Amino acid sequence: MNVEISELTRRFGRTQAVAGVDLLAGPGVLGLLGPNGAGKTSLLRMMATVLPPSSGTLRLLDRDPHSYGPRREIRRRLGYLPQNLGYYPGFTVAEFVEYFALLKDMPPGRVPRAVAAAIEHVGLGSKARAKLRTLSGGMLRRVGIAQAIVNEPELLLLDEPTAGLDPEQRVAFRALLREFGQRATVIVSTHLVEDVAAACSEVTLMDAGKIVFHGTPDELIAQGEGHGVGDAPLERGYSAVLAAARS
Amino acid sequence: MTRGPDMTNHQRSLPGSGPDEVDLGRVWVGVAAAVWQRRPGLAERLASRLLRSPGLARALVTTPSLLFGWVLATMAVLLAGVAFTRGTGTPWVALLAPPVAGAGIAYAYGPGIDPAWELSQSMAVSDRMVLLVRAMAVFGFNAILGLVASAASGAVAAVTFSWLVPMTAVCGLALAAATLSRSPNVGVLAGLAGWIITVLGERVSEGQLTAAVTSTALILPYLAVAAACVVIAVYATRTPRGT
Repeated sequence: MNVEISELTRRFGRTQAVAGVDLLAGPGVLGLLGPNGAGKTSLLRMMATVLPPSSGTLRLLDRDPHSYGPRREIRRRLGYLPQNLGYYPGFTVAEFVEYFALLKDMPPGRVPRAVAAAIEHVGLGSKARAKLRTLSGGMLRRVGIAQAIVNEPELLLLDEPTAGLDPEQRVAFRALLREFGQRATVIVSTHLVEDVAAACSEVTLMDAGKIVFHGTPDELIAQGEGHGVGDAPLERGYSAVLAAARS
Repeated sequence: MTRGPDMTNHQRSLPGSGPDEVDLGRVWVGVAAAVWQRRPGLAERLASRLLRSPGLARALVTTPSLLFGWVLATMAVLLAGVAFTRGTGTPWVALLAPPVAGAGIAYAYGPGIDPAWELSQSMAVSDRMVLLVRAMAVFGFNAILGLVASAASGAVAAVTFSWLVPMTAVCGLALAAATLSRSPNVGVLAGLAGWIITVLGERVSEGQLTAAVTSTALILPYLAVAAACVVIAVYATRTPRGT
């Protein structure tokens, strides 16, 4: 298992963002669904080793991120796209991706080819030498995805990756997720159930810091049978599980 | 979001590009890598050898307060100091060097400087290491520039070196304020304000403008302030623990 989480909690003062989460994830694409404030981003940030847990155990790629050496090794094999990623306006696309490839401690000889492959992967080849300040929001999001995948991560964490992408790019992005899911653990936090339906092999639904459902998209759809709220089957399942959890 | 559309169309149009033959996708990536590859400059190559980390070296050469424009502005301020020193006899270089270095340190690195700060925190080359290397480089560079300017201004030896200690304190204050407030401008203002208060305070108590850099009684307080401020900066850039 690439992700092993047990009784994980995270508090910010009196607010409990993550409340005793248990989760196991191996290779494949896991969709992390939930309403605003459910704790998805806090959970992803803990998995990205940016935010330490308040309590509980977290093991990533068979290592304990609490210690410096293992944490550094995890970070070498990690791809992370934060919800709000800032960009260096004076960098070109290639320079930005290269910068983070180097900070991920990739061997310098491998970097140019990895950068080119990542940029081509997100369809930005024609913009590789364009300054970031000249790109649209959707293109910048794709640059963020490129830096996340540049090191061929074994654990890929994406927070709202499709925000700002046009429908064509979202379809292409789902294909990329499926491709990475064949060899890595991909965890995608999203509000868009259609992304989950199209790309994820497993779904975890969070509410109020807790996991209220974990299963396949089909199992989530089954939860929504006979439930009236929602346009799509997965939305009905989502609403039914949330309603049951809150009742 | 697969291969670039231009490349894919081009690949389709080429005769004999079947799956059993040349993998044009791989070839294209190789060509793109060669074309887009950035050639590191001499400073970056040297830093890479010295620090044994190409990532740290790259982070170092992109330090805002070591970029050409900033260096030019620093030199202009110190040159003005040299001119005023020669003209008036007051060692202006010694008075200008600490706040100029403090401003450089405040703009070296931190959450207020790095738009991708959260992402940087998830990197194998830690953000603290980047901060340390950049701050040391900016400090060293400003110290050398200041010493050269001080020597050029014809100041006596005691004044030429005496501002290095207060400069350490001002840099520490600027760094701490910038990291705590997550704003480099606050760091610059804190360093500048701290220095002005010290200089004017000493002038009032001893009746001379340069007492802030010539009084040996101030060395320990300066170093204490610098150490305390560095501790604050380290505390401000820690990974926050859960409550």
